[in-house]
Amino acid sequence: MIKVNKLFKTFEGRGGQIVRAVDDISTEVAKGEVVVIIGPSGSGKSTFLRCLNGLEDFDDGQVVIDGIDLTASKTNLNAIRREVGMVFQHFNLFPHKTVLENLTLAQQVVRKRKPAEAKEKAMKLLTKVGIAEKAQEYPSRLSGGQQQRVAIARALAMDPKVMLFDEPTSALDPEMVGEVLDVMKQLAKEGMTMAVVTHEMGFAREVANRVLFMDFGRILEDAPPAEFFTAPKEPRAQTFLKQVL
Amino acid sequence: MPAKRRSPQWPWQGLLVLILIGLAAGLWFATQRIHYEWRWSRVPQYFLYHDEASQTAPVAGVVLAINPSGADSRIELQPEGGGQPVAVTVETDTLKVKPGDAVAEDQDLGAVRSWKIGPLTWGLWVTIWISFVSGLIGMVIGLITGLCRLSPNPTLRGLAILYIELIRGTPLLVQIFIFYFFIGTVLNLDRTVAGIGALALFVGAYVAEIIRAGIQSIPRGQSEAARSLGMSATETMIYIVLPQAFKRVLPPLAGQFISLIKDSSLVSVIAITDLTKSGREIITSSFATFEIWFTVALLYLVVTSILSQVLFWLERRFARSD
Repeated sequence: MIKVNKLFKTFEGRGGQIVRAVDDISTEVAKGEVVVIIGPSGSGKSTFLRCLNGLEDFDDGQVVIDGIDLTASKTNLNAIRREVGMVFQHFNLFPHKTVLENLTLAQQVVRKRKPAEAKEKAMKLLTKVGIAEKAQEYPSRLSGGQQQRVAIARALAMDPKVMLFDEPTSALDPEMVGEVLDVMKQLAKEGMTMAVVTHEMGFAREVANRVLFMDFGRILEDAPPAEFFTAPKEPRAQTFLKQVL
Repeated sequence: MPAKRRSPQWPWQGLLVLILIGLAAGLWFATQRIHYEWRWSRVPQYFLYHDEASQTAPVAGVVLAINPSGADSRIELQPEGGGQPVAVTVETDTLKVKPGDAVAEDQDLGAVRSWKIGPLTWGLWVTIWISFVSGLIGMVIGLITGLCRLSPNPTLRGLAILYIELIRGTPLLVQIFIFYFFIGTVLNLDRTVAGIGALALFVGAYVAEIIRAGIQSIPRGQSEAARSLGMSATETMIYIVLPQAFKRVLPPLAGQFISLIKDSSLVSVIAITDLTKSGREIITSSFATFEIWFTVALLYLVVTSILSQVLFWLERRFARSD
């Protein structure tokens, strides 16, 4: 479903030195697979994830989503992005729209669905994430956990083939993490292809098919969670796990 | 529970009243010193006045009869050379002829009164509609320029910066003269069009900067979320960024449009009869200099206050989602 080949992304840091945020990454995510990307902050995992839907333009390499090359000159990035849902750390709900409008807007504008159809789809998803009763509220009236669940529903409303999660629980109060993770687990169970950047080791252990450990913009370890959490091979991964577990 | 200690407000409110009374007294003494005679009674007629139009005989002849109907009277005239009688209607209390009188052609028979709009009302109207139209055009110019200013295209960005700097760096009065005497002559523009054009270009530059700041104040995450849903850059701007930016820039925009109403008084220099020019014209005939200028100032104040109330109301309505 996702194929990444020799991906490079550099930033120009202060003083002109080049920071390699993504440094020669090649990997693949199969359909229905859940891949969790972990690593210390600044290791390039968010940048890598944002390259996957073209939100970050990369310097070199190739990203292929469902057979379509992002870098090919005739590729319409907007057409790919509607197939790739994304959930952000800070939710990024549209504050001037109600919860329901947050879910229906892109359906109508991008997918050209009829208002009634979009609304029905939206209500179904809101029920699924458990906040149908807040449909007419504005996002500012919702708790962080509820906002993030709305954000997940908003991405799902576009019927994406892949879902990307960029630290979806990092900005939440501890007691709200569970409700968001539950939604994500359910999604994984339904067979959604997911790439998740997170610090929730419990989630990685329970749900992931593979764990990618990143540092310095590279993938240092790529292993099933059982193997990774019990016997990591990389020394960097060993110290990281010792610190977080 | 102990009561919250609070210093009393009334001594300060009393002081405020005292200062206001002092100011009013000072004003009164000042006009006493220069022996100015206030004639406020002359002012209302410049808003609305009762016009008397005298009615004259269309032909020479004899008054046959006068038929009163309500407050009016119908005068029947038999023309000298014979033929059909002619009728003239005047108001009864202005009647100047009796039945049987001989009248010459164009002789005054009486008058008809009607309410007419005075120059102050007319000037106020001109000020309002010129401000409104130039504000509307300025808003469109400002929106386009603000977007160009943020465009990644160097040509568009350069043009926008040049326009904004040119307008903000020169006085409006000079811009109005240039617009009227140079552009107006080249393109053969009417003075009203030239005035509106100059005001619109002027306000557009300021609106552009306000809109640019508003767009930049919207977090990047908003457009990233919209783009990640597959919206194009244009759709993101229309549905996500601009609505939020507009809400934020409403207060500075309100200030700008209030300024525009006041600045519109400068178009009186190219002989557009707006509120200011009406005031000046009235003074030359009424000699009620102080009264008229005070009235003109008050009228501007009323218009700007109404506008700021309307925008304040709009602001509160948009605040629903906060």
